[in-house]
Amino acid sequence: MNLDRVRLRACATFFIVSVAAFGQTTGGPAAIPNTPVAYRDLRFPPLKHVPIPSVTTCTLPNGMKLYLLEDHELPIVSGTVRVRTGNLFEPPDKVGLATITGAVMRSGGTRSKTGDQLDEELENIAASVESEIGESSGSLSFSTLKEHSDEVLGTFKDVLTQPEFRQEKIDLAKSELLSGIARRNDDAHGVADREFASIVYGKETPYGWQIEYATLDHITRADAIAFYRRYFFPSNMLMAVWGDFSAAEMQAKLTKLFGGWNYEQPKVPPFPPVREKARPGIYLATKDDVTQTFFIEGHLGGRLDDQDLPALAVMGDILGGGFQSRLMQRVRTQLGLVYDISADWGADYDHPGLFEIEGSTKSASTADTLTAIQKEIERIRSSEVTEDELEAARQSALNGLVFAFDTKTKTLSRLLNYEYYGYPKDFIDRYEKALEAVTRADVLRVARKHVHPGDLTIVAVGRTDEFRESLATLDLPVSSIDLTIPKSGGEGKKP
Amino acid sequence: MKTHRLVVFLLPLLLAAQSLPEFEKKVTEFTLANGLHFIVAERHEAPVVSFHTYVNAGSVDDPSGATGIAHMFEHMAFKGTQNIGSKNWPEEEKAIDEVEAVYDRLDGERDRGAKADRGKIAALEAELKTAEEKANSFVEPNLYPRIIEQNGGENMNAQTSWDSTEYYYSLPSNRIELWFLLESQRFIQPVFREFYKERDVVMEEYRMRVESDPQGKLMQTFLATAFSAFPYRVMGAGWPSDVMHLRRADAWRFFHEYYVPGNITLGIVGDVNPADARRLAEKYFGPMQARPLPPLLHTEEPPQEGPKQAEVGSPSQPLLFVGYKRPDEYSKEDPVFDVIGGILSSGRTGLLYKDLVRDRQIALQAEADDTFPGGRYPNLFLFSVAPAAGHTTAENEKAFYEVLEKFKSQRVNAATLARVKAKTRADLIRRLDSNSGLAGLLTAYHAIYGDWRKLFTSLDDVDRITAEDVQRVAQECFVPQKRTVAYLVAPQQAAIHEVSR
Repeated sequence: MNLDRVRLRACATFFIVSVAAFGQTTGGPAAIPNTPVAYRDLRFPPLKHVPIPSVTTCTLPNGMKLYLLEDHELPIVSGTVRVRTGNLFEPPDKVGLATITGAVMRSGGTRSKTGDQLDEELENIAASVESEIGESSGSLSFSTLKEHSDEVLGTFKDVLTQPEFRQEKIDLAKSELLSGIARRNDDAHGVADREFASIVYGKETPYGWQIEYATLDHITRADAIAFYRRYFFPSNMLMAVWGDFSAAEMQAKLTKLFGGWNYEQPKVPPFPPVREKARPGIYLATKDDVTQTFFIEGHLGGRLDDQDLPALAVMGDILGGGFQSRLMQRVRTQLGLVYDISADWGADYDHPGLFEIEGSTKSASTADTLTAIQKEIERIRSSEVTEDELEAARQSALNGLVFAFDTKTKTLSRLLNYEYYGYPKDFIDRYEKALEAVTRADVLRVARKHVHPGDLTIVAVGRTDEFRESLATLDLPVSSIDLTIPKSGGEGKKP
Repeated sequence: MKTHRLVVFLLPLLLAAQSLPEFEKKVTEFTLANGLHFIVAERHEAPVVSFHTYVNAGSVDDPSGATGIAHMFEHMAFKGTQNIGSKNWPEEEKAIDEVEAVYDRLDGERDRGAKADRGKIAALEAELKTAEEKANSFVEPNLYPRIIEQNGGENMNAQTSWDSTEYYYSLPSNRIELWFLLESQRFIQPVFREFYKERDVVMEEYRMRVESDPQGKLMQTFLATAFSAFPYRVMGAGWPSDVMHLRRADAWRFFHEYYVPGNITLGIVGDVNPADARRLAEKYFGPMQARPLPPLLHTEEPPQEGPKQAEVGSPSQPLLFVGYKRPDEYSKEDPVFDVIGGILSSGRTGLLYKDLVRDRQIALQAEADDTFPGGRYPNLFLFSVAPAAGHTTAENEKAFYEVLEKFKSQRVNAATLARVKAKTRADLIRRLDSNSGLAGLLTAYHAIYGDWRKLFTSLDDVDRITAEDVQRVAQECFVPQKRTVAYLVAPQQAAIHEVSR
């Protein structure tokens, strides 16, 4: 039996909920006294103190910030460098450049070794070094058994400071992205996600852009090298290392390793702002090889530092955050219309996230499902939630908070995020206090202030001919999304 | 300790905390008089604890004509008990009985087939709807999972696969007793309320995972082709026409036969005191009645007499599944298959990645799963290939056979073998720091092999594998006669005729 209970198998296993569940509950009914104990009669001791690990921090003379955390349970050392960059900095005609730079930084090898040589060397000792650039940050990470940590740190440094971006790996990364484009309409849920984000953020800013054959055609090795050079400099990074080492020794080691890396670039500018503009209506994408309609409805969400966030999180939970939520109880359990349904008040660190309600239902019940959702959106804005609902949502969040501290690495990773996005170190403690103070009136106030039924964008993907007409009952403008994949302008490989 | 030549690679990795004797100090096991087995592993780093219930029954145990019932039961296990989820159990019970009585009459009429009276069916359907509404009026919707959520339950889920059904979540460690109460009650006095609404939900899950997912669709056809008789031929969700006819009585029968104490293993990992766990286990699970173990499946897959092929027409981009029949995971060759899987498909040094993805660039992905869809019975060594844009399944299939033939024709070199073994060991060490992952592994290894220690000793089994073993087993297994290939291709493209021997 293989330890990996495997990706392939995941496509064919059946669950009670589609993603990890969320949650809370109300007080509940009178239990019939024939069990050993009724659940409401259980009394729990206070939760033990959660140990907060101590993190050693320092800044090297070249500006690189270090965060070190000892954890001796397992003989493993891991680390990551967080770099202020992202695909938000891509030029519009080269969307995909950051992704390619992030992939080829590692796969393209270093000055002295090809990427294939690195693959062999690292996998021979069950270690990894991986790079990636996402929307608003880039990273280079490693993980190794303790006894190989010097060797792996050496490789890590070479990849960080001397990546070679060999042409063959640029070509490979482009070919993989091309195949990804060709496959992007195969997964209906993925189509809904992509089109929803693209409509709500709009094409005016990079938040709404996507990689196309034409944008890939324009990307060269020189572009990737220039992108790397612009952002990967010591004073633009945070480095965190955790695991089985002594912090003092590791600090000395890293100082020696990176101290001589003196390379400076102009300060990286802020990320572009989101263009806040409502784009209401129903947008239909036709996909005939499915039996369900995959829908997402919502609009722009907010930021994590919004003082309304705790009340909005509670609102999102009561609306669609687990078995306790109104959408789950009504649309799934009582109406049997969906397997998968959830709502989330989307909040991001530095720009508005997406407020989304999503799920899927058989084509024939599309209009019924969307109508049932509209009713719940109206309800959360028109009257206060019950005391039971509020208490359940708060208890769930507060009782579950310990899981934000249950491993040392979670604490470190949170600290890194706060530092990267300029949040106070005790943000989570302040959040906990604010959560305790949320009232029913707060939930109604923030629902009215932040949820705008007139602004809702509804994206529905599926057999539109089977449900288009029934949507008339929703009384919203309906338009179509063309899923045709634009052909490349240049010579590049096409399917 | 085993062979000398391997000691070189093993010694540095066998650090104190990860050796079996050290790990054993953290583990306590006990079996209740009724047969329920508990494994408790202490990790006191944080005040949290993870629970995992492994039931040694899955969709292979679905009766013919009632496929999907194992999965349906899993959904019912969240519907609560007589005490949890009802506003008035005596009244609710009567109302549920009434639903069943009406449904019996409806089925009776429908079973007349062509001679059935449509007017009567419509009337009974209306009556059924009314009866269901009445029964549902006594329900506190979703109370059972809501209690878990409100108490800070983390990653609550359950899954039905071919061999097993598993239920799991984590709680703050001051709430351990809540798990004992809830978990015992759902297996002592479950109530299958809202059965037919939940059946609709389960149908939506099938539509989502199988009918609306190209990979799910291909998998369904692939399995039905590869297996003629053995129930691995059916997807875990069952056939939709069976599911739509499942009744509460089917769930009861399944529950009574398979959810017996001796067939269930429970894992508790985290900030837990084993003596407390034992006391609570006796108190809450003690009343569960001992019952005989369910019968073993006697259906055996007949020998395959030649290669099989199937094709699914789809507007999606192409996919290719290739499977070879292999023995079950109790076979002494099982660790050899693990090693073969590692050589062919692991990281960026796996042979399939290097050849099809990196060098020829004809595939976006090429992976292996050495045990599919389950391991308790003879199963498949599965390969899945996603062709790169502009490349066909035929081209990939041909290249795939070339890789496989080359692999069979040579002994694997020492460095590659050592790499795969080092990775197997490191993978285990990396998994030891997750309470929930560990709870799942300990219960699975106990349920499957009768001893969680196999999680560690199987590393030694892997270490003993030689290059000769790898070649011999590959040559036995990867032959056309044991092969099934399935293609997802554009409807007009006849993949089967283009391809291969």
